[in-house]
Amino acid sequence: MPEADLLHYRLHWLSGAVYPGAHPGRMSGAGLLFKQHQPLAASNDPRRLDLRASVLDPFEHFHVRAYRQPSRIDVYLLADLSGSMGHAGKQKILTALLRTLARSAFGYGDRFGFIGASESIEPHWLLPTGLHEAAVSRLACRLETAELSGSASGLRNAAAYLPAERALLFLLTDAHFPLAHLRDLLASLQMHDIVPLILWDAGEYRQLPSWGLLSVRDIESSVSRTLVMRPSLRERIIAAYAKRRQHLIGAFRAFGSEPLFIEHCDIPAINRYLHQRAA
Amino acid sequence: MNLGVESPWLLTALPLALLPLVGKGMREHAHPGLMLLPPDPLSGLLDWLIRLFAMLAMAGLVLGMAGLHRRGQSVERIGHGAEIVLLLDRSNSMDNSFAGRAPNGNEGEESKSAAARRLLTDFVNRREHDLIGVAEYSTAPLFVMPMTENKEAVKAAIAATATPALAYTHVSKGLGMALSFFERPIVSGSRLIVLVSDGAAAIDPDSEQKLRQWFKEKQVRLYWLFLRTANSPGIYDQPADPRDDNAQAMPERYLHQFFTSLNIPYQAYQAESPDAMKQAIADISRLENLPIHYFERIPRQDLSGLCYRASFILLLLLLALKGAEVKTEAKP
Repeated sequence: MPEADLLHYRLHWLSGAVYPGAHPGRMSGAGLLFKQHQPLAASNDPRRLDLRASVLDPFEHFHVRAYRQPSRIDVYLLADLSGSMGHAGKQKILTALLRTLARSAFGYGDRFGFIGASESIEPHWLLPTGLHEAAVSRLACRLETAELSGSASGLRNAAAYLPAERALLFLLTDAHFPLAHLRDLLASLQMHDIVPLILWDAGEYRQLPSWGLLSVRDIESSVSRTLVMRPSLRERIIAAYAKRRQHLIGAFRAFGSEPLFIEHCDIPAINRYLHQRAA
Repeated sequence: MNLGVESPWLLTALPLALLPLVGKGMREHAHPGLMLLPPDPLSGLLDWLIRLFAMLAMAGLVLGMAGLHRRGQSVERIGHGAEIVLLLDRSNSMDNSFAGRAPNGNEGEESKSAAARRLLTDFVNRREHDLIGVAEYSTAPLFVMPMTENKEAVKAAIAATATPALAYTHVSKGLGMALSFFERPIVSGSRLIVLVSDGAAAIDPDSEQKLRQWFKEKQVRLYWLFLRTANSPGIYDQPADPRDDNAQAMPERYLHQFFTSLNIPYQAYQAESPDAMKQAIADISRLENLPIHYFERIPRQDLSGLCYRASFILLLLLLALKGAEVKTEAKP
């Protein structure tokens, strides 16, 4: 797997996990970053004995250097599996991202889990955190051929399936649900580090025809409308999407995260975004 | 509007016209976030127009197949005119000229019946709103044409008197039949009988009694157009010999007296030439112009052609809209 096809995420917070990994953690252990001095009795590893600190101690205690242990984290992909995510190749992008993210997490030594939510959270769209690539692969195969339907209201229960520890959470959705639902979701996920990826298809708004009659049916609500397409209406649709984008950015920023709008599985773009947010 | 259909069982297909309410017949493009699209009144209007057009087109086709028509009906009309019964004499002598001989075909000489035909046709042409019936009499009365406002039919009935005449003159039965044309009680306008004859006959006492009664009941005016043949007794002639003063010898005089004694508006014209007859008819035409109230019959009207035409236009429109539909498939 070429390096370019993996996601490189860095954290700006400390992992509390006990197991060693690749991210800065709160545990002391075998690391390279100095953390603190400890009395020899508390940390009985004489190899890390700090002679200078021991000599300088007026109480003549032996001090041992403790190092920060790099820990692993839990990486989750929380995916919106509503009907609208089955439209126009979004499902393929979802699957590709699932595989890429899982490989990237396993590359770091992190555990990877998947939560898929449609009308509710179904057990067969749950993957508990683990290090098994085969399980992810099976899930991705099922997801590729699944018929997605229903709304995304199950997303709001996602917090119940997440660990009590802080985790890195990739939220992949097209956000075609009311902003109030989004605020509820973000409020329930506040303890986790959220990477929001908003997946819009250009055919939804930018690539609509300029002229002609267009009958459109909503995938989720089955409401049908006829549009008399003309340049002015096309402009208005594009403007409506731009406005929606601003609203979404506002909603995410209110909860301390910056959304990334993607139209296809653009790994370099996601990587650039991840580098920016770690800095 | 009395609408009817030829085959009512085809109307069971009429609920098919509700189909456009269910589907528009356009290829639907899936869209993930319809709530994001801004409302567009023009699109909404067109959406309903398409459904309406489709419903009307289907209803039109079904109604056209079922054979929609407007039933024959009568329309109330008010005009200036009268109910007129033309009572024509069909006795042999009518085929003679005013000179009392068979028309020889030159010098413009025409028979009395031909003159009567020509002048009466003119008369009918000039009377726009009249109801005209035609009866004839000879030995027996002949029912020709009931009271109608259809001028073509009346003219045809008058033209039909061109066939050779029949035998004798039985005026009382003819009058009886003419009177029987006035069935409805009088509402408005005037009723008149125009009796065109060239002779008369005695009326027996029984008929006389009945005629007196009917003329009173039906309030009919009588115009007698007496086509006098040269050298024959006229209506106003006094007999030279008092012994000849009886109905058998001078039926014209006695018939005139009988009509006068009826106490109804009565006018006799003694015409000795086509010109005099023309004058008499012009008189009648001028006099009888009271407002009249009558019902005009309108024949049944087939509306299925109209239905098909409307459907055709609507279907063309829908076809044009279908042509304007966006053809591209949704992006994979």
